[in-house]
Amino acid sequence: MGKHEPLELLPGTLDLLILKIVAKGTMHGYGIASMLKTASEDVLEVGESSLYPALQRLLLNGWVTAEWGASENNRRARFYTITAAGRKRLAAERADFERMVGAIQRVLQTT
Amino acid sequence: MTRFLRRLRYWLHHDRMDAELAEEMEFHRAMLSDEGRTAAMGNRTLARENARGVWIWPWLESLWQDAVYAVRTMRRQPGFTLTALAALGSAIGVNTSLFTIFNAVALRPWPVADPSRIVTISRLMREGGGDFGIAEYRYLAQNSKSFTGMIAMRNGERVKMADRTLQLTYVSGNYFAVLGVQVERGRGFLEQEDVTGAPVAVAAISHDLWENRLGGDPQIVGRTIRLDDIPFTVVGVTPEDFTGTNPLRNDVWIPLPARKLLRPNDPSVQNWLTAANVCCSPIAGRLAVGVTRRAAGAELTILVDRFRQQNQLSSQNPRIVTAGTAWIESPRKKRQVVPTILALFIAVTLVLLLACANVGNLLLARAAARRQEIAVRLSLGGSRLRLVRQLLVECMLLALMASGIGLSMALVLPAAIMRQLASDQIFHVALDLNVLLYTIAVATLSCLAFGLAPALHGTRAGIAGALKSGDAPDPAHTRLPLRSALLAVQVAISVILLVNAGLLVRGIQRAQHLDPGFDVQNSSVLAIDLPASQYTGPRTRELTSALWAQLERSHDLPACGLTLNPPLGNSTYSTSFQLTDRPGSPTLHIYSNEISGGYADALGMRLLAGRNFVPEDVSRDVLIVNQAAAKRFWPGENPLGKAAVANERVRQIVGVISDTYTNDLTEIEAVIYFPVTGSWGAPAVVVHDRGAATFDRIAALVKQIEPRAEIRSETLAARFDRKLQPSIYASELAGLLGLLALAIASVGMSGVFAYVVGQRTREIGVRMALGAQPSQIVRLVLGSSVRALACGLACGIAGAAGISALLANALPGVHPLDVLAYSGVVMLLIAAVTLASAVPARRATRVDPVRALRWE
Repeated sequence: MGKHEPLELLPGTLDLLILKIVAKGTMHGYGIASMLKTASEDVLEVGESSLYPALQRLLLNGWVTAEWGASENNRRARFYTITAAGRKRLAAERADFERMVGAIQRVLQTT
Repeated sequence: MTRFLRRLRYWLHHDRMDAELAEEMEFHRAMLSDEGRTAAMGNRTLARENARGVWIWPWLESLWQDAVYAVRTMRRQPGFTLTALAALGSAIGVNTSLFTIFNAVALRPWPVADPSRIVTISRLMREGGGDFGIAEYRYLAQNSKSFTGMIAMRNGERVKMADRTLQLTYVSGNYFAVLGVQVERGRGFLEQEDVTGAPVAVAAISHDLWENRLGGDPQIVGRTIRLDDIPFTVVGVTPEDFTGTNPLRNDVWIPLPARKLLRPNDPSVQNWLTAANVCCSPIAGRLAVGVTRRAAGAELTILVDRFRQQNQLSSQNPRIVTAGTAWIESPRKKRQVVPTILALFIAVTLVLLLACANVGNLLLARAAARRQEIAVRLSLGGSRLRLVRQLLVECMLLALMASGIGLSMALVLPAAIMRQLASDQIFHVALDLNVLLYTIAVATLSCLAFGLAPALHGTRAGIAGALKSGDAPDPAHTRLPLRSALLAVQVAISVILLVNAGLLVRGIQRAQHLDPGFDVQNSSVLAIDLPASQYTGPRTRELTSALWAQLERSHDLPACGLTLNPPLGNSTYSTSFQLTDRPGSPTLHIYSNEISGGYADALGMRLLAGRNFVPEDVSRDVLIVNQAAAKRFWPGENPLGKAAVANERVRQIVGVISDTYTNDLTEIEAVIYFPVTGSWGAPAVVVHDRGAATFDRIAALVKQIEPRAEIRSETLAARFDRKLQPSIYASELAGLLGLLALAIASVGMSGVFAYVVGQRTREIGVRMALGAQPSQIVRLVLGSSVRALACGLACGIAGAAGISALLANALPGVHPLDVLAYSGVVMLLIAAVTLASAVPARRATRVDPVRALRWE
């Protein structure tokens, strides 16, 4: 019972988290998923069926670009890089998210 | 917008994009399994579908929403929908119908295997003479490396089988093989059946002939059929879908050398088969792999030049060109038909434009009615782009439904028209992919034409103003100019079409009363058909002189005579002509004919000077000229007794006769007449009578001399009408298009008036309450559009005058500034306007002042 089950992400936050991860450096899909897992200390886990649609969505909106390259173990992998528009979006979403979390916190604390 | 571009890029490369996505996800799985975390893998397909869906789904979904919404709006306003569909549907219908005919007649290649590799070959020369001799063909076929096979053919021969006349084509032995026609029964021709010195009497027959005239005899191969009484052995039946390589229905094919057997007494056949400098057999070839049309043409140009050098012929430096087998691609046809086709397409495009203006106006009125809805959506944050898109989706839906109507019109109309125009031609009129694509293109373009402006216009409305009050009167400066312009366009286009139709009709009236120079009402032509296989030059000449003598003796017959080329036919003869009394005068080519002494009297022409021919003139070098020739060559002089070189002999002028039209009805040409000899073929009899009794007596005279001759009689009036037939068809078509245009425009005007009445109900109510008369109210309603109507009328008349000047050059009797035609159209238009305003105006006068005022 000591171990917690991984949590479902809040809707809309996956794009934000992916942007945040690729903002640090170019990374492939699997790397993004692993990073998400380790950075959240195993609380957040994302499957292919939500990761890749999200990546496609970011591509469609022009927030990231993708390029093929060799992975650390020399497999062919697609690496994602954040664009200028993506950074802007990240900043905006992050601000929105912090306001939202702050608001939720305040509500939870007062009642 | 960049989102849209990225989406477009994805669609264009969706195969690669999908593959990349798959590979990427495989990599993910490989990494997972490396770490032994197979449990973390989800459903692979579902994951892929989800990722892919990002690109497509939301867009499709919103499109679908728009479509559903559009259908609902259209169902809510059946009046609008039906009017728009009727206008647009009929306009698209005439466009599609015309294109269907054009597609069938001009765009379809020969019905053979892989027609794109077959090219027709022609000589590009300044004047005529584009085809080839058989000897030349054989030389080219042997020496050219550009083709896997070259064929020659000669169409247009008629033969009798029992009592039926059949169309026959002479073809080279490899004809069916090169074209890839799979002979249905039996075989095509063999090489040994196409040897110039050794003709073989074999024939291939069409499926139609076999099935409908030979009873579908299963043992037909090997049987004998008699063509012009010459026995031929049937070796094959062509498949049903092979209709030959020219537009006329073909029944029989025989090898080129077999012409010697079919025409045993015609000495010119040997010449045709072997001489180097004859012409007139079309040739075609199947391009070898990797050879372009241009390269093949270049090679043939060199070969033709070499052939002419080898045969000591002067080099004319002709360029040989290759073209596709569709009718429109033939270099000569192109020049003839393109202007007509262009005129037709312009006319139907005008009708379509009119319909677009009409529907555009309806949409505008509706957009005004929906201002509130649009304003609400805009104020709630709906993007304008999205709104415009939704309005365009509605238009597209309308256009697609209208093209459905248009296509169903095109199923019926073109076939009916072609039956009228060309029953013996084998144009296969049917809807195909070309027609479908054309219709969709027309629908899309018209959708943009009628939809875009109103959509942009409608979504521009100021939010605040529209929200305040739904049916506030329009500020005149925003929407009215566009509506007026659209109305003016409709009026102008209908005026253009109607005036041109009117000019054509008047032109035909005038042409019917045109004096062609002979007595159209009381003269007739009797053509003499001789059994071609047994008739030779000398025998035709004997018959001609015997008949002339016979006619001279028959004093109890009405005036009658012989002629090589009866008036108002399709053929012309011309001859070389040079004046002798002026040194250095050039050799001209002028129209000529052969006639007997009674010719002028029989046709009601006048002998102006000198004498008519007598039978003895056949052996004398004499000429008769018409007045135009006399004026042209001997102005102010008496031509009698003058000499000229005509057809390479010095001849003396013995008579001058009055002018006539020859073949077309637009111009009187200089003509010279020789005494009729029969050297160029059997003459026709012309007689100043139209009674069957006279025809029978003349037929009896001919049969006395040649019992196997057959006589076909026709009044000159019938031949005259046939000459006018194309113009009559043209005027009927123009009239129908004009009336269609007027109908659509009337509906459009009516809609505009109704809108005006709707918008100004309150104002009208106030006026009525203050004692205005109904006639004043009607004037108020009409007055709102009077400027637009007048402007449209003026533009239409100006446009019509410009176009009709072109028309006058092409058709007989058309005067571009025919007052009656113009005033007729103006009256028609006024009547249409009155009619169109009648219903809305009546509604306006019935406005109940009390109710109208209570709305405030």
